[in-house]
Amino acid sequence: MDAQPRPADHDPLSVTGLGAAEGPCDPTPWLRQRKLRKFMGRQDDLAVVAAGRALESAGLGGAALGERAGLYLAVGFIPFEGDEIDALHAASAVDGHFSMRRFATEGYLAPNPLLTFRCLPNMPAFHVSINFDLQGPYLVTYPGAGQLYAALEEARVALETGAIDVALVGGVAHQRNFLVEHHVRRLGRPSETLEDAAGVLVLETAAHAGARGAVTRARLLDCAAGYRPWDPLAESPARDDRFEEAGLDLAGFGAASLPVALGRLPAGRHRHRLASGDGIEAASTWEIA
Amino acid sequence: MRRRVAITGLGVVSPIGLTVDAFRESLLAGASGVGPISLFDATGLPTRIAAEVRGLPVRGRDRKIDFALEAARQALDEAGRPRGAGGVSLGVGLELFSLDDVAAARAGGTLPAALGERLTFLQTPSDLCVHAIAHRYELRTPPLVHVSACAAGTDAIGAAFRLVASGRRDWMLAGGTDSMINPLGVAGFCRLGATSTANARPAAASRPFDRGRDGFVLGEGAGVLVLEPLDAALARGARVRAEVVGYGNSFDAHGISEPHPEGRGAWQAMARALQDAGVGPEAIDCVNAHGTATPKNDPVETAALKRLLGARAAEVPVCATKSMIGHLISAAGAVEAIATVLGLEGGWVHPTLNLDDADPACDLDYVPHKARAHRQRYALSNSFGFGGQNAALLLRAWDARR
Repeated sequence: MDAQPRPADHDPLSVTGLGAAEGPCDPTPWLRQRKLRKFMGRQDDLAVVAAGRALESAGLGGAALGERAGLYLAVGFIPFEGDEIDALHAASAVDGHFSMRRFATEGYLAPNPLLTFRCLPNMPAFHVSINFDLQGPYLVTYPGAGQLYAALEEARVALETGAIDVALVGGVAHQRNFLVEHHVRRLGRPSETLEDAAGVLVLETAAHAGARGAVTRARLLDCAAGYRPWDPLAESPARDDRFEEAGLDLAGFGAASLPVALGRLPAGRHRHRLASGDGIEAASTWEIA
Repeated sequence: MRRRVAITGLGVVSPIGLTVDAFRESLLAGASGVGPISLFDATGLPTRIAAEVRGLPVRGRDRKIDFALEAARQALDEAGRPRGAGGVSLGVGLELFSLDDVAAARAGGTLPAALGERLTFLQTPSDLCVHAIAHRYELRTPPLVHVSACAAGTDAIGAAFRLVASGRRDWMLAGGTDSMINPLGVAGFCRLGATSTANARPAAASRPFDRGRDGFVLGEGAGVLVLEPLDAALARGARVRAEVVGYGNSFDAHGISEPHPEGRGAWQAMARALQDAGVGPEAIDCVNAHGTATPKNDPVETAALKRLLGARAAEVPVCATKSMIGHLISAAGAVEAIATVLGLEGGWVHPTLNLDDADPACDLDYVPHKARAHRQRYALSNSFGFGGQNAALLLRAWDARR
């Protein structure tokens, strides 16, 4: 496994904006189309609030980002609330047992028709794009903290090759719900530590940030990710979930852990490392202004 | 310096063929894979048809895992293992399966012991597919799991292309896998009114660009390609099937379930793919359309193609693989990219089935009913996702003289 940070080939990228959101939050101040509010689940709320705060922190609040901005987003496990499942099952059961026949005639109509929109993993990206008029490239990955490093790598390359001027890099994890808690418990981890959270960074080249007079809040000095293949089809798949979050215990933040950590760190040089249960090990070094 | 990227292996599991050869023959014959749903009792649902994969043994209810493994096996069997550090980049469908599992879990049920039973609704996060492939083939670079809805398969190939072209990976397995032909998947699309209800005539239900279209038909399957640097492929004597030369993606930033009315995002994705390759629209010889047969997609995609191709738009054949295999969602772009490669190789364009009466807003050459001989150098493959995520790949026919 090769997770030793390597220096970037180019000048360090500048973090000009940082935004985070936790728990229930209200995206209304950032919504361009209020009619879309009813389509939003918690993961969408979190992503929009974190992105909005990050853009404001970068001096880009209210700006239409357009074609020269990209979104690189790691989205956590698909959320599914227990009451939605209960409603579905209650309307599909016969004598307490699930009936496909009843489901096909009544049950499937029971949940809120907007449920699909509220849990799909590409929807946080949609809501960020429409509310900040982001028309550039994207990478939407799933579902763990390690995938955020894939997003970070692609953002870095897009900036360094000049494909975009501004990258929003973030993670969003709606985890306090029945389905995600179930996933975590079956992996032998406590679900009580899970958080609903999102974090977004605004990344730019130093030259672009300087040209528009943006304040550099942090710099990405290096990053790298490695991977140890594991067999999920084994009768007893071995998973080893470990997080070492630059001195902060943010394991419960899942895909949002890195950007949330950066918002909490004091000035100085910090190394972020993670070894997640999906076999990805990653590390990066950041200089906080 | 950017490296040229060759496609040296193809693997496909589809409703019209479980091998690349069978898939090619079905494409040329204009075969439909759509039929009544047999995977569960859909009686009572508005949509009771789908394009199912038949004849492939699967170990559990999460069919997309076995689809992905089989497609990857085929692709690597053909390509042989390229040298160096490989990885996997897949568009992967959602882990929503069986409601009885949900009910059991809600009731405090215990984990099933057997593997086949464990791989059910609540036991299988979707990223399991990439880890299974990575483990089987000892791929020691971080895998990529794309969830950009219907664009995911194309995004997965595009991301892999960039990794190989930039030298960050020596080779990649790239593609997509999906099966949403399950109670929650089919019912969810029914609830949105997105799928065709032409249950009485399954083979005629998927009607891209036709005036009588009434939604897409759900399909399932997987497509995987081996991508490696062209010079490395030639050095090891691998068969080069085509090149990936450009990739672009974009956000519509417009509507949650409807595309931008002028196809702005679709056009941006295609234009970026061309720009990435350094070629102009005059080079395009064929387009494998997203072509869902939904009322909103088809005219918007047509408008975007007209903007891209200009005066040549009417001359460029546009085909819709979904007319035969339905919509494979996260796998759609991958399987359609393979269809595009086969057309580039063979000098033909597969037909768009069921195009009996073209929508007046859809006035391009969609190659209705029958395959057509058509030599091509450059072909686009489009995927436009629910939620306004658009992706396009530009592929080039392999010519050893270039």
